[in-house]
Amino acid sequence: MRTRFTVATGIAVITTVLAATVSGCGSGSGSSGKTIKVVYQKQLNSSNTVQPDFLAAQVKEFEKANPGTTVKLVPVTASENDYYTKIQLMMRSPVTAPDLVYEDTATINSDVASGYLKPLDSYLSTWKDWSRYATASKAAMKYAKDGKTYGVPDNTDTRGIWYNKTLLKQAGIALPWQPKTWADVLAAANAIKAKVPGVTPLNVYTGTAGGEQSSMQGFEMLLYGTAAGGDSLYNAAQQKWVVGSPGFKDALNFLHTVYSQGLGPKVQTALGVNIGAQVGTEMIPQGKLAIDLDGSWMPNNWIRTGPKPWPQWETTMGEAAMPTQNGQDKGKVSMSGGWAWSIPAKAKNTDLAWKFLQSLETETASAQWNNVNATIPTRQDVAADPTYLKALPTNQFFSGLVADTYYRPGVPAYTQVSSAIQKAMESVTTGQASVDKAASTFDNDVKSAVGADNTMQGTQ
Amino acid sequence: MAVTDSPRMAAARPAASRDRTGRSRRSRVRASRGTINVVLLLFSVLYLVPLLWMVLASFNAHASFKLNVPSPTTANFHHVLTYDTTFRPMLNGLLLCGGGTLVCVVCSILAAYPLSRFRSRLRRPFLYTILFTTGLPITAVMIPVYSMFVQVNLIDSMPATTLFLAASALPFGIWLMKNFMDGVPVVLEEAARIDGANSMQVLWRIVLPLMWPGVIVVTIFTFISMWGNFFVPFILLLSPEKLPASVSVFNFLSAHDQTQYGQLSAFSILYSIPVVMLYLILARRLGGGFALGGALKG
Amino acid sequence: MTSSVAPAAGRRGAGGGKAERTPLPASLAALLRGLPLLPAVVLLAVFLAGPIGYCIYYAFTDMQLTGASGTHFTGLHNFTRAFGDSDFTNAVELTLLFVVGSAVIGQNTLGLALAVLMEKASKPVRSLTSTVVISAWVLPEVVAGYLMYAFFYQEGSLNAILHFLHLPQQNWLYTLPILAVCLANVWRGTAFSMLVFSAALSDVPRELVEAAEVDGANAWQRLWRVTLPVIRRSILTNLMLITLQTLSVFGLIYTMTRGGPGNKTETLPIFMYQQAFQNSLIGYGTAIALVLLVVGALFSVVYIRLLKVEDA
Repeated sequence: MRTRFTVATGIAVITTVLAATVSGCGSGSGSSGKTIKVVYQKQLNSSNTVQPDFLAAQVKEFEKANPGTTVKLVPVTASENDYYTKIQLMMRSPVTAPDLVYEDTATINSDVASGYLKPLDSYLSTWKDWSRYATASKAAMKYAKDGKTYGVPDNTDTRGIWYNKTLLKQAGIALPWQPKTWADVLAAANAIKAKVPGVTPLNVYTGTAGGEQSSMQGFEMLLYGTAAGGDSLYNAAQQKWVVGSPGFKDALNFLHTVYSQGLGPKVQTALGVNIGAQVGTEMIPQGKLAIDLDGSWMPNNWIRTGPKPWPQWETTMGEAAMPTQNGQDKGKVSMSGGWAWSIPAKAKNTDLAWKFLQSLETETASAQWNNVNATIPTRQDVAADPTYLKALPTNQFFSGLVADTYYRPGVPAYTQVSSAIQKAMESVTTGQASVDKAASTFDNDVKSAVGADNTMQGTQ
Repeated sequence: MAVTDSPRMAAARPAASRDRTGRSRRSRVRASRGTINVVLLLFSVLYLVPLLWMVLASFNAHASFKLNVPSPTTANFHHVLTYDTTFRPMLNGLLLCGGGTLVCVVCSILAAYPLSRFRSRLRRPFLYTILFTTGLPITAVMIPVYSMFVQVNLIDSMPATTLFLAASALPFGIWLMKNFMDGVPVVLEEAARIDGANSMQVLWRIVLPLMWPGVIVVTIFTFISMWGNFFVPFILLLSPEKLPASVSVFNFLSAHDQTQYGQLSAFSILYSIPVVMLYLILARRLGGGFALGGALKG
Repeated sequence: MTSSVAPAAGRRGAGGGKAERTPLPASLAALLRGLPLLPAVVLLAVFLAGPIGYCIYYAFTDMQLTGASGTHFTGLHNFTRAFGDSDFTNAVELTLLFVVGSAVIGQNTLGLALAVLMEKASKPVRSLTSTVVISAWVLPEVVAGYLMYAFFYQEGSLNAILHFLHLPQQNWLYTLPILAVCLANVWRGTAFSMLVFSAALSDVPRELVEAAEVDGANAWQRLWRVTLPVIRRSILTNLMLITLQTLSVFGLIYTMTRGGPGNKTETLPIFMYQQAFQNSLIGYGTAIALVLLVVGALFSVVYIRLLKVEDA
């Protein structure tokens, strides 16, 4: 009998523990009538508290202006992919869905397709500030299938060429330098290789380890500068992915030239997981890299609070727009990304969330945010604001590129296509595959990811 | 910490009739022991290099991947020894993994007893099933686990996460524990049973004291695997203030745009302390030998 | 693993003796005896069996975490897709290479060698070696990955040592990444095998070894003909456990290489993670996880068969 008693006690204990956890301890939901939960990604680098500080100050102001309301900030400290995984999981259920979520403009369409986000059109139609946003930025928030807008873009970025004036001067290149074609870029790199030993002439990000950095700063800056322009990767009118295009091979060829002729970083370095940091905090500040195809945010590395304070950057570094392949169209090309605020479909307190979103996006708040974050404003009035333009000497140049910029295809399958691009780049960079072979592998990868009937043959 | 110090080495030597060959053999043994010592020492040094780098880098103001003597500083430790970076995540980790280990070990002991002592048609399929489960990457099941936790409102609950961690470590725990228990002779139990003890009393009073090494091995094993688990708490806990150290260290380490190798190393050392401590404390209880193998003879 | 079948029959008598004192129906008695299993079974059923069941279902659907609104049953599509996917077959090959290289050959052989040598070494050396090897084992997986990354890095310790010895250097993580992750796993995991074998060796009857020595067998022959046959069950069980553990290694490889360069270290767990969480293809990812489970089961079946042959 005692056996049974002991066993029964054991079971009782376990059941109690289970029941206790089931009943009392869940606390996923944090929203009630006067409370909203705001989820954003906190940088992995723990010393970077730019966004947490900015948001905390905004929350304080908002709660003061709206007595009785509580804004609960929920930072998710994770790499980008893990951040997406986590917010997507959270948005799946009304219990855990936040009221406001910070979304990468690259994943927003994908999340719309999954039904995670709420269209904001009814709010936007009564918000007069919406008209002040740049057209390209607004267009990127629109979901193609229903024409509705799902986010308020909060900042953007552009991409172009950074060059070291001292090194270019040594190579006998006239300053300020603005290449007109890809050939000009390669010619300059060759001149540096010949005249300035010990220096990497040109960096073009490549390979799978670099992730989106390779696709966007590296490949798409080339691809969107080929003859097909904005339709070179995805034809929005026909809603089909472009495969087998000559432009794709041209872009791969450029990459092949850079890495096979020793114009780029050492292949092993270029394909390493650390290359982004190495370029920004070592190669450029040490004067070891002459030309870098990179983003508008590079000064973040060099400002006083950055990982590699380097005040001389303002005089050492020059900027140029990335030319199109043969100087066609407007002659220059740029790619843009950025982040946006969205309201999840299963959010409980959308009105208050919208109110808080508005307060984050006033002219003053937007200017302040883009200043501290060293990003490019999406509001045109902020972009023209003298204090913003003076905050960093490069702000004027890079916000000027917004006129010629492209956003990535707003289609869910983009992430898979992007992986295929990185794979093709990697095999060409290492020399594992010829350009033709890599391009045909890409075609197959894209067809298997999106379905062959969602692709079309590129002619340009 | 030394492994099975075998006194048999010095055991009875051959009789006098073989004395001559015995002596030459002994000198040969001594010579080969010398060689073996040298080989093992060299091996240990090589094995130690990565650990040495970590310690050096953590005290180096300008740490890089190069193995060099530091310009000494404790700034790396000062920098990471904050409440948010180290103390709170460590405390959370201890609660989650300590609780999980406790639940797992207790449940394993209870489960191992019938599995080891009683025969049933279900026993073998059960054992094989849980054995195969140990090969499953736990990341694969996290999506349904998340959905389940949301449905029963357990998401962001530390006790529930603890139970999940315990459950995910159970298959291996039960399997090991059952094998350890097989090594305890049944004869002793029978005596106790004749004296009127029931199964539970036999388990706690007779079997357990004889298999402490096994329990300790399972404890260490379970704790190590939980302490390093990043994905489970990251997915199941929403509030940043509940996350354990494994999430911080994973974030720290997967931030490849980080070049703060000194801080990374300092944090890695701090993060490893609990497991090392647990091992040191428990291994002492094992006496001279870490009797892991005893249970694994099949 | 299976050796307790026969003695269990004997134990049944003991259980029966108890039943005489508290007369209970046989089925109820059997149920009672199984009761201590309950907490474990409840935990496993609630937290593992359920989700695994869901995973099996997901594997036959096109579920995505983002990018699609609904989930549809797609039959075997994920599996046919996998076997037609060169990245998947690459992952399977690398996984087998990783398991055989780092566990079956690496950890197992090194662990055995260490155990054999340590038995003959002097005590301080023995303590030192075991301490060093075990400290690599108790380190959390990601920390071990980080240390190994630093070790194999181009400017890292390994190349420094090679340079010192005037041996050719490599960019290990780039030229031989799979070897680097295998060695990393050997570095981290050998302690387990070493402990198993140390314990097993201490149970080898001294008389057997000495008899062989008297018969003129050299050290190598003694090991091969006497010691190994005696501890073969330990070897098989150890192989089974380290195989299963190595199959699901994720953190170590992910911190070192993230599966790269290219897909040269993309083993199944990494491939699964990338498909499920980077490409958000939950259905495809779980299908891969199931394949991994099957691979593990196949390995285990082989070992269990071998153990059974031993029994017979």
